[in-house]
Amino acid sequence: MAFEKELEAFQRRTEAARAMGSKKRLAERQDAGLLNARQRVDVLIDAGTFEEAGLFARSIRPEAAGISPTDGVVSGFGRIDGRLCGVNAADFTVLGSSSAEVHGKKQAFVRNAAAQNGHPVINLMECAGGRIPDIMGAAGIGRAGEHSRYTRTRTTPTLSAVMGLTYGGGAFACINSDLVVMRKGAVLAVSSQMATSVAIGEEMDPQDLGGWRHHSEGTGFVDAVVDTDEDCIAWIRKALSYFPDHANATTPVAPIPPDAEDAVAGILDLVPEHRGKTYDMRKVIAAIADPGSVLPVKDRFAKVAVTCLARIRGRAVGVIATNPMFKGGALDPDSCDKIASFIVLCDSFNLPIVFLADTPGFLVGLESEKRRLAGKIMNFMAALELSTVPKVALILRKSFGQAYLNMGGGKSDTTASWFTGEISFMDPAVAVNIVYAVKREDDPERFEELAKEVAKETSAYDLAAPFMAHAVIDPRETRSYIARQLDIFSRGLTNGVGAHRLADWPPAF
Amino acid sequence: MKQSKVASEITGKVWKIVAAPGTQLAEDEPILILESMKMEIPVSAPLDCKVVEILVAEGDTVSEGQAVAVIEG
Repeated sequence: MAFEKELEAFQRRTEAARAMGSKKRLAERQDAGLLNARQRVDVLIDAGTFEEAGLFARSIRPEAAGISPTDGVVSGFGRIDGRLCGVNAADFTVLGSSSAEVHGKKQAFVRNAAAQNGHPVINLMECAGGRIPDIMGAAGIGRAGEHSRYTRTRTTPTLSAVMGLTYGGGAFACINSDLVVMRKGAVLAVSSQMATSVAIGEEMDPQDLGGWRHHSEGTGFVDAVVDTDEDCIAWIRKALSYFPDHANATTPVAPIPPDAEDAVAGILDLVPEHRGKTYDMRKVIAAIADPGSVLPVKDRFAKVAVTCLARIRGRAVGVIATNPMFKGGALDPDSCDKIASFIVLCDSFNLPIVFLADTPGFLVGLESEKRRLAGKIMNFMAALELSTVPKVALILRKSFGQAYLNMGGGKSDTTASWFTGEISFMDPAVAVNIVYAVKREDDPERFEELAKEVAKETSAYDLAAPFMAHAVIDPRETRSYIARQLDIFSRGLTNGVGAHRLADWPPAF
Repeated sequence: MKQSKVASEITGKVWKIVAAPGTQLAEDEPILILESMKMEIPVSAPLDCKVVEILVAEGDTVSEGQAVAVIEG
């Protein structure tokens, strides 16, 4: 056969590159129940569609050529449910998938090609940090900056999974993503615990440094937590289904499940009549959305605010709600950050926003003021006012003060209230204390009398009379009402594509 | 079984203690109820547990982050 020798060499080189790191390391992963980089790509990408870029890439240091197949990252393009996506899958068995010149160049190639051609990007990350000695010395760190681009303009959706020890550049890639899922047991941190203990003499458990609890409950960097590698990838696939391929396209429409209209009929049983009693807003959202369509985002962080992706009659939406079950629904500083970031996400990818408000207001107090509540309220409001996606604001029970405006009241394409709505500058009971200096415990009769007086003209109908609410609705009509409003405010002139004025909002949460 | 403290997530007044020491609770079941922002806000069990001690009394004012109960689970 012609070119026999070359074909044989090609075959040998291909197999060696595809073999990843040492057999020992691969076996250790398998024993630990972890997938290797190529298995992860196989689970993520539709069979037979992966187009690898950089199979023969390797370290720039000649002495490391034999131990650096693909230079530690499986990169390329492939289809997920038929949709073409860029993929960077860290191969931890090759030098800990550490950051080095060719390694970074490959990832940038995928990111840039995806951004320029309108394909989502998926990062399946692990990273030991910067590769030593490659990045040591002046030229080493200088080279690291030559081709990197840290700004994120939210052109195409970027979804990342933290699937192992993920430090340095790997952590930054995840932070610079639209959504992040983390496997329990993985770690996300700027610096490994080893480097941390040497640098500042602080010994710690990696889980405390950057484990799933830390990031899902403390920092809010992680949007979802799952148990296994397979779960990570399943979450990524599901999350992608709500997004368009790029910012200039509209979101995919899914079929409406046959029993989708049933749950909302029972919505009156989910909300207590007593205005001071709490309930779980997530149950209300589940009743409104298409069955099985709710994907919580940052559900363990700042629980006062519920942010989730969902579908209503097949159309993807972002839902922003207050949850009376936590802090009575009073919005605290972290929940402002959470909502602002979610508005940015929705606005960047043409996801209409549905606001569901039941809030006594922003959470006042020493702790909130210390944590810069005023600034966070304004950032939240700036994001809301700059957003151009369709917005439907709905008041369920109470919506008081600045929180009424921040939760979309009068700041959306349309504002409506359940017939249970109560809207004012502040809770009437608080106003009685402040204006008349009367407390319930001191003079119950006088207090009730004044409370009635102050509570005048705070009903949903009082907001509808000056046409500040465009409708007062029966809660059981919530789902159909929202669906009709989304039809009306469909942004037909721009084919449903917004102006994306938030696309350059700071990249990190 | 590990003992841990449950903290209030909000500043407010203790309105009602609903789970006395010795009570077995499932995750998310209320230990006590605070009044804050004119709402009745439960402080709930973070996991399936037994209430060991209640650290506050009805009518007390508690701060955000203050421990209000000891649980075992």
